Amino acid sequence: MAEAVTMLTGAQLTGGAPITTVGSWEGDGVTVAQIAAALSDLRRHEQRAAVRTSVLTLVAVVRDPEIVDVTIDTVRELGGRHPSRTLVLVVADTDEDPGIDAIVSVHALRDQKPTVCFEDVVLRVRGPARWHLDSLIEPFTLPDLPVAVWLPNRLPSPGDPLLATADRLVVDTRAIGDRPDSLVQVARLLRRLPVTDLSWVRVAPWRSLLAGLFEGRAMRPFLDHVTRVEVAGHFGPRHLLAGWLKATLGLTRAHVHIEEAEHVSIRISAEHDGRVGRFSVARPAAERVIHSSVEIDDGPTFDQTWRLRDRWPSRSLADALTRIGDDPVYRRALRGAVELMP
Amino acid sequence: MSDANPLAEAVGDKVAPPAVLVVFGASGDLTSRKLMPAVERLALRRLLPAGFSVVGVARTEMADDDFRERMRVAVEKLGGGGDEAGPVWAAFTGGFRYVAGDYASPETFDKLESVLDELDRERGTSGNRLYYLATPPATFPVIVSGLAEHGLNRPATEGAFVRVVIEKPYGHDRPSARDLDAIVHAGFAEEQVYRIDHYLGKETVQNVLALRFANTIFEPIWNRRYVDHVQITVAEELGVGHRGSFYERAGALRDIVQNHVMQVLALTLMEPPATFDADGIRDEKVKALKAVDVLSVDEVALHVVRAQYTAGWVGGEQAPGYRDEVGVDPHSQTETYVAMRLLVDNWRWAGVPFYVRTGKRLPKRVTEVAMEFHRPPHLPFKESQATGLAPNALVLRIQPDEGITLRFGAKVPGQEFQVRSVSMDFFYGAAFLEETPEAYERLLLDALVGDQTLFIRSDEVEQAWQIVDPILNAWGDESAPLARYDAGSWGPAEADDLLARDGRQWRKP
Repeated sequence: MAEAVTMLTGAQLTGGAPITTVGSWEGDGVTVAQIAAALSDLRRHEQRAAVRTSVLTLVAVVRDPEIVDVTIDTVRELGGRHPSRTLVLVVADTDEDPGIDAIVSVHALRDQKPTVCFEDVVLRVRGPARWHLDSLIEPFTLPDLPVAVWLPNRLPSPGDPLLATADRLVVDTRAIGDRPDSLVQVARLLRRLPVTDLSWVRVAPWRSLLAGLFEGRAMRPFLDHVTRVEVAGHFGPRHLLAGWLKATLGLTRAHVHIEEAEHVSIRISAEHDGRVGRFSVARPAAERVIHSSVEIDDGPTFDQTWRLRDRWPSRSLADALTRIGDDPVYRRALRGAVELMP
Repeated sequence: MSDANPLAEAVGDKVAPPAVLVVFGASGDLTSRKLMPAVERLALRRLLPAGFSVVGVARTEMADDDFRERMRVAVEKLGGGGDEAGPVWAAFTGGFRYVAGDYASPETFDKLESVLDELDRERGTSGNRLYYLATPPATFPVIVSGLAEHGLNRPATEGAFVRVVIEKPYGHDRPSARDLDAIVHAGFAEEQVYRIDHYLGKETVQNVLALRFANTIFEPIWNRRYVDHVQITVAEELGVGHRGSFYERAGALRDIVQNHVMQVLALTLMEPPATFDADGIRDEKVKALKAVDVLSVDEVALHVVRAQYTAGWVGGEQAPGYRDEVGVDPHSQTETYVAMRLLVDNWRWAGVPFYVRTGKRLPKRVTEVAMEFHRPPHLPFKESQATGLAPNALVLRIQPDEGITLRFGAKVPGQEFQVRSVSMDFFYGAAFLEETPEAYERLLLDALVGDQTLFIRSDEVEQAWQIVDPILNAWGDESAPLARYDAGSWGPAEADDLLARDGRQWRKP
């Protein structure tokens, strides 16, 4: 089998090591047993893939043909950070001839010692099997490892059998779009299983910078007398940030103002000891930096500039999968966001 | 009002409070190579708050801007800086100041006090100070006393913190360590003192605790009933380099055994702590070190080997002998290698030998703890069927290729019944590809947030010297033998004999 070397953008994730596809197999109208045998065969004949060090099985489910390629690229990049088995289920939303077409690939990070191998299985699912995706996932899950199910731009319905398969659900409230009920739906899902929202992961720099502004005895007391909070950004992130501040600081709806904007910004006005403090964390348009600043009347005034890391598709997914388990802060932010919905 | 910042819990990582890091020895090598790169990485990870400030103190005359530029160059030289860091660093160093002066001069501390007050007003650092002594050990007492005499050792305002980080070596023997402690404690309470050993900041050293206390399968066999002996190796392929004159005064026993080896030994020996906090862990480490059998002069002659490297080849390159290194006495009696056999007098480890070795110019750089288990009490095979079977072993590799190897017996495929040892390797690098913090980065942040877990407490230093001091005293005798080994070998024949007498041999890591 010829060795194909592909320099993916995921090399950024892996310290510059390119990803090598060390073997692949594909077949149309195949069975799960054939696919599993092909996968096993690929690993058996590839010495570098002899030792497995995996941390999870990741399942991406795509119904929108326009995002299939980007989804496959994203999960392949991710292998460089979370050695895993990845299953991409591409679901045809038509009543084509029933069947499964499969592409199985084993990849290695070049120049990585010891060799890190990971594999992905892309299944195009046609016909009635698309309503029983759980039956396609189970044969490919790695034993004893968590199964994370990623839905790039939608939420599952309450009766979706995928939910029974998943140990963790990964969604993106921004990608779902401006749907007022989506946050409520995510809150319902959270009662059933841990949910990671990529929108919440992406605003982590704003959250940590804002928290940093209130560290120390000089600034901390201002949090007890917040008079106004303004959060701007897209649907999803702006609601989660506003909800987080509302719930964490015990604010009322009247304190919190939300508005649509291209980039995220948070501005807090607060009082302490007769002085007014203005705290801001904002990304200016067209620049990949965040400015954070503090202005206290008759007190310290300083600002900092932070450069945002380069963006690539799997960054937030990789960050999301780093922490497995419930995130009580996200839970609280979501509750606050739901309370702020009209 | 609670003092905790409610917004910080969403951040996940520890974030330092606004504070001033005061670096004594700001023009020195440690500041450029370790401290500033660590500060830069913490800043890039957004773990330092906006008001965080740095004051460099050294004898060299320098303006604030020169200090900022010097630190920028130092960081860039080590691969930092660049597009991502540029704007952050430029904004960040707005809080950098420099104080030039002699550590023995009261004027230096007067100037320092005035700069610290100014930073409190301008940057909201709230009186929080972390003094870092990145200076030669001889200056520790002078600086600590200077801080105390100027009242800079105590928080100026309620709720603020003042801490001091002291680099190793902490004393050159037990009495000098006690003397230094007396001076430090005259100005600072133990809770303010952070004695640093960067080994403890390494992920994999901390992982010894995770392996032992987060799993149920290892701890039950972590005792004399199952373990035949333990080998701890801290090997370096490098020689003394430009540290010849320092090394002449230190030697391998003081430079490596008294601190790094004793810390790894303590983590291996210790009982499970009741709580995973600073005192919970350090209490157990002290108890473990107290249980190590202190050697008599006669026992030192029998159970400790000291040696010095001669010329040889390491990694395909010719290496000079120790006595030919720059700054080294041509008749030097300083040891560059130590091997020792230690026993531990407690219920868990009684009778289990701990063989420890460390040396320079060994074939490769490796640190590991290898635990070899007893052979099975009875093998139901013919002797010829198990010729390739070695005892089970569990190896914790601390550096490089951090991971765990488990050696066990398996049947060789085929018609015959042959049993052979196989190794199952686990590499952290293959399971977790996340960027791990450098040791100094981790420890600096811990000191800023007030977590002393990975710093060495006064009584730990005392106990480590308690074990090492008798060896130093025995070696003080001019007749103490000094073995020789070729650079690039695994040590002298005398070290092999140390294990051979017990019917064992050193591993080749």
